[in-house]
Amino acid sequence: MTRLGARLAALGLALSLAALPATSAQAQVLREPAEGKRIVRLGAIQAIDSMNPFLAVRVVSTSVHRWMYAYLTTPDSKTLAPSPDLAESWETSADKLTWTFKIRDTKWSDGAPVTAHDAAWTLNKIMTDDGAKTANGPAVENFASVTASDDRTLVITTRKPQASMLELPIPIMPRHVWEKVGDIAGFEAEQYPAVGNGPYIAVEHKKNAYVKLKANPGYWRGAPKIDELHVIFYENPEAANVGLKKGDIDWIGRLAGPHFEALAGDPDIVQWNTQGRRASYLQLNPGAATADGEEIGDGHPALKDPKVRQAIHHAIDKQALVEQVQNGLAVPADGSIVPPMYKDFFWQAEGDVRVAFDPARANEILDDAGYRKGADGIRTMPDGNRKLEMRFSIHTEDPVEDKLAQFLTGWLKDIGIGLTTRKLDSNKFTEETGSTALYDIAISGWSVNPDPEEVFATHLCSRRPTAAGEGGGTESFYCDEEYERLYQAQLVELDRAKRAELIRRMQQKLYTDAPVIALYYPNNLEGYRSDRITSITPIPEDKGILYGGSGYWPVYSLQAVATPAGPAAGGSSAGAVIGIVAGAVVVLGAGGYLLARRRRAAADDRE
Amino acid sequence: MSEATARRRGALARFWRDYRAQRAGLYGAAILAAAVLAALVTPLVTDPAGLDVTRATGEKMAPPSPEFPLGTDESGRSILLTILWGSRVSLLIGFLSALLSMVIGTVVGITAGHFRGWPSAVLMRITDWFLVLPSLVLALVLAAILGGGTSTIVLAIGVTSWASTARLIRAQTLAVEARPYVERSRVLGGGHWHVMTRHVLPNVAPLVLANTTLTVASAIVTESTLAFLGADSGQASWGSMLRGSYDWGAVTSGAWWYVLPPGLCIVAVVLAFTLCGRALEAVLNPRLRGVS
Amino acid sequence: MAAPTEIEPAAGPAAGPGERGGPPGARRGLLRYALAKLGGALLSVGMVVVATFFLFRLIPGDPAVAYTRDVPLTPDQLDLLRRQMGLDRPLPEQFLDFVLRALRGDLGTSYEYRRPVAELIGERLGPTLLLVGTGLVVAVTLGLWQGTRAAWNHGGRLDRFSTGISLTLWSVPTFWLGLLLLMVFAAGVGPVPGIFPTRGMEDVDAPDGPLYLLHVAHHLVLPCVTLVAVVYAQYLVVMRSSLLDEIGQDYVTTARAKGLRDAEVRRRHAVPNALLPTVTLVFLHIGLVVQGAVTTETVYSWPGLGLLFYEAIKGPDFAVMQGTFMVLCVAVIVMNTLADVLYHVLDPRVGSA
Repeated sequence: MTRLGARLAALGLALSLAALPATSAQAQVLREPAEGKRIVRLGAIQAIDSMNPFLAVRVVSTSVHRWMYAYLTTPDSKTLAPSPDLAESWETSADKLTWTFKIRDTKWSDGAPVTAHDAAWTLNKIMTDDGAKTANGPAVENFASVTASDDRTLVITTRKPQASMLELPIPIMPRHVWEKVGDIAGFEAEQYPAVGNGPYIAVEHKKNAYVKLKANPGYWRGAPKIDELHVIFYENPEAANVGLKKGDIDWIGRLAGPHFEALAGDPDIVQWNTQGRRASYLQLNPGAATADGEEIGDGHPALKDPKVRQAIHHAIDKQALVEQVQNGLAVPADGSIVPPMYKDFFWQAEGDVRVAFDPARANEILDDAGYRKGADGIRTMPDGNRKLEMRFSIHTEDPVEDKLAQFLTGWLKDIGIGLTTRKLDSNKFTEETGSTALYDIAISGWSVNPDPEEVFATHLCSRRPTAAGEGGGTESFYCDEEYERLYQAQLVELDRAKRAELIRRMQQKLYTDAPVIALYYPNNLEGYRSDRITSITPIPEDKGILYGGSGYWPVYSLQAVATPAGPAAGGSSAGAVIGIVAGAVVVLGAGGYLLARRRRAAADDRE
Repeated sequence: MSEATARRRGALARFWRDYRAQRAGLYGAAILAAAVLAALVTPLVTDPAGLDVTRATGEKMAPPSPEFPLGTDESGRSILLTILWGSRVSLLIGFLSALLSMVIGTVVGITAGHFRGWPSAVLMRITDWFLVLPSLVLALVLAAILGGGTSTIVLAIGVTSWASTARLIRAQTLAVEARPYVERSRVLGGGHWHVMTRHVLPNVAPLVLANTTLTVASAIVTESTLAFLGADSGQASWGSMLRGSYDWGAVTSGAWWYVLPPGLCIVAVVLAFTLCGRALEAVLNPRLRGVS
Repeated sequence: MAAPTEIEPAAGPAAGPGERGGPPGARRGLLRYALAKLGGALLSVGMVVVATFFLFRLIPGDPAVAYTRDVPLTPDQLDLLRRQMGLDRPLPEQFLDFVLRALRGDLGTSYEYRRPVAELIGERLGPTLLLVGTGLVVAVTLGLWQGTRAAWNHGGRLDRFSTGISLTLWSVPTFWLGLLLLMVFAAGVGPVPGIFPTRGMEDVDAPDGPLYLLHVAHHLVLPCVTLVAVVYAQYLVVMRSSLLDEIGQDYVTTARAKGLRDAEVRRRHAVPNALLPTVTLVFLHIGLVVQGAVTTETVYSWPGLGLLFYEAIKGPDFAVMQGTFMVLCVAVIVMNTLADVLYHVLDPRVGSA
């Protein structure tokens, strides 16, 4: 190569090497040897969106925040019912509008005492600062005032009774650190070690790469039994799986069915398959209207007929869906939107109420209702005006929904309904199925919290869009008087058993009216290395979730073997050393080659 | 008339003789012929019902067997069958987007070469702009904005890949228009349209053909990449099969029969188009023949 | 994606972006040339900005609703947000605002991260520069070297072999190759041990100091090999054919006839002349390497701009998509212009020397 080529090449190499220190500068954090430490490395197919709990919405972020900060209450490790956390105890006034919490006497990780003023500041911040509403604004919508009457007493008054008061998804922040922040919406909270009072303290965050947490020695329940917890972000789920198999990470949560199955056969990997907190369902446009009752959208008129919705329900083989779309790793739904994991609130159809897979019955219902089949096998409306050609709206980039659409198309064809699939990006999807009602049938799903209030609210009349067509958060455009009445009743019913009964009646209503049809409850699928993690307790303790559930019990309960001493510590092996050498050879080889060329070219010049 | 026919036949014979000398080009043409034939014959000999997930008969992710020579996918459908039907979509998208790219490139190229002055300057500025832009990135943005579907993918690939054709055709147009007989035709009152369609177009056509062949190759790769990155046509193509194998964990569960065949098909067909295109260039491009 | 074609060198030295108006010759000419190039580049950048603005305004749906995602807002809150986002103003005004902001480096705020897009892009620039830079250097070196050898053995077995290999690799979809390499060399298959990492640029336990460079280099190997394998063919093909052109020239024949050794002729005469058009093309097609980086970064979770762009498409996070798109395009234009001017400085035939 000549002078010119060598110059250009050297320039390129110099540029790329110049990029290195820039990135290594960020990594200049105190590093201690890993030998003898108990470290657990959790893989997540998602990166942290923000370390500021007022802004973070991704599961990985809210999980990490659960481990860093205490909440007023935490779900009980056995029953998931609210139990004391930062609040030692609480009581409500007779009118159910005033709540008084007694705040635990503990310390922040910087030694400052935790007081009721911290909690009052946090909640008031969300109530008064729009920038702080991003993550948890709706949770405090009903609050009238929040005050700390002394260091240990927090008083919250609400406008209406709020049964979900004991399940506020809000971490309490240290006021003495956070009140100095001017613009909450623009604050990244990238200061380490972060001041918290949860079982772990975040000590390092490398964006898009990992978060490093250390056990909080001053945690009021006692320090966790491991020294460090690393959360490592993967973009590619296949790579995460390979990482688990190789031992680069010790644990992955929220696996997709195929990736879960690929972990089979490794004696050191525990495949964790339990009931999940999610329900997948179809939305059938029941004749969408705004909150004022004016019709909007372009839903197929046949879907206004409950008989058609029921026939569609009969045409769906939920068992086959579970086997084919979910690799058998889900529970077929014979109920509604609360998954069986929540035993208290779960409801299941039995006897005559149950809608079984029965295409013949579906055809019969449609025949009787006057929807005649044409020569092409597609039915028409009883008035003969319109064919039963419908659209099925799903998200782009979702292989499971894609596969589900293929099955649904086949089954509906068998009962004389034509179905075409529309793939929409999530913004457009939310708009068309939630406010403009430009859909016939759409896929949907919801991760249900221990308190299911929010998922039931999504089927209220008031959640339908405003007259201006702006979404109110409806999941179905459903509006039913009885459902409405039951909802209001459960809202103020503070007796848990009675409330559960009301909630079950709401689910039965949703099941028979079928504005939504529950398909299945996907299992929670995880995998961890038993040669590294010696013990972990799920939540709830009986066959529960490890990662992504509510509360911190599983990560708090973690026990792990210590990293062995030696030069190849930290998950590396002899192979890694070979790899490093090979990598060095590639880079140095390229550089050396160029240098040699350059020198030779220089020699040429002298000739 | 007959003289013209004979001349044309003679030219064709000469072309074939020259092309036969390009061995790699012959291999490429053979692979292409096989692929196109398979795509055309598929609907006559196989039943597309096997692509319907509710009617699939096989086990999920089963390895190759006499019944399913290339095994099955995550829904128990035959990989071989999907590959055959997928070849139709992949080739169709490849051809259509190359066609679109060819039409835009040729029109822009001839226009920019024929009309000097500011129209040419403007057209070439736009061409250069498209030439340097990362076309895959632009295609992804287009696909994301326009939503899914075969026509979207064809449009996204076609609109982003015509620039190098336009440059080439413009250079060739300039060379053709400098020839004396074109000059004569213009003096004799031949209008712009006449010169462009009667003299320039026939002379640049062979190069357009060679270039389009190469464009098909890159269009097929681009289609598969778009499918992998999430912008697919909604029909089973080789690219969407690879995406499927990725989504359904075929790589980690060791289902090589799902991962390798679609990829190898893409490599074979793309390589075949590339070899053909290069051979055509070698035969048709006077510069490379040393005739200048 | 441009095909590896032998036609390109025909346009060779004239294939740089923009019109090449005659050999400038003198230094004054060079300055004028550089200014013209700069003007052209500015125009291109302007076109990118205009195209970006209108492309992303074509997206159906209400950006304010998209921004708030699933959080239910009152109509008043939405109106306020629309006013804040400037959506209530006429389009020309919005455009002006967009341009002024872009000039200040304000590319909007990410829906997903709730952070300025420019900041997100800044964080991702380093890793992408590292990957693309290293990949480019290795690919160009490999391509030119193999291309030179192939041309010198024109028609021979070596030529057929190396050209064949490179064209086959060129036909491979980048992501597929990446996945296969990941499976074989990161996970390990049969006797092959998985000696390379599965993700990213560094691990939690990354060492300090010089070892850190090795640590990153170790992570860089597979992404770099993937990128290089797919793109180096075009450098090979271009180098091969422009060198063949040179070999056909009289002076080479003369030099050989004078009894100069083949290696000498190649190194001192033919290669330097063939290199110029090739290097121009390398930079002209730098967009190809950049788009290769999008897929490579996705497969290997490499924390660069390409991955950011892919995540934004998946979101979709239009502000990030828009910002990344603009930055990628502008970067390519800048590189091109730089290479173009540099070419004129260095070209012994037209340069200032």
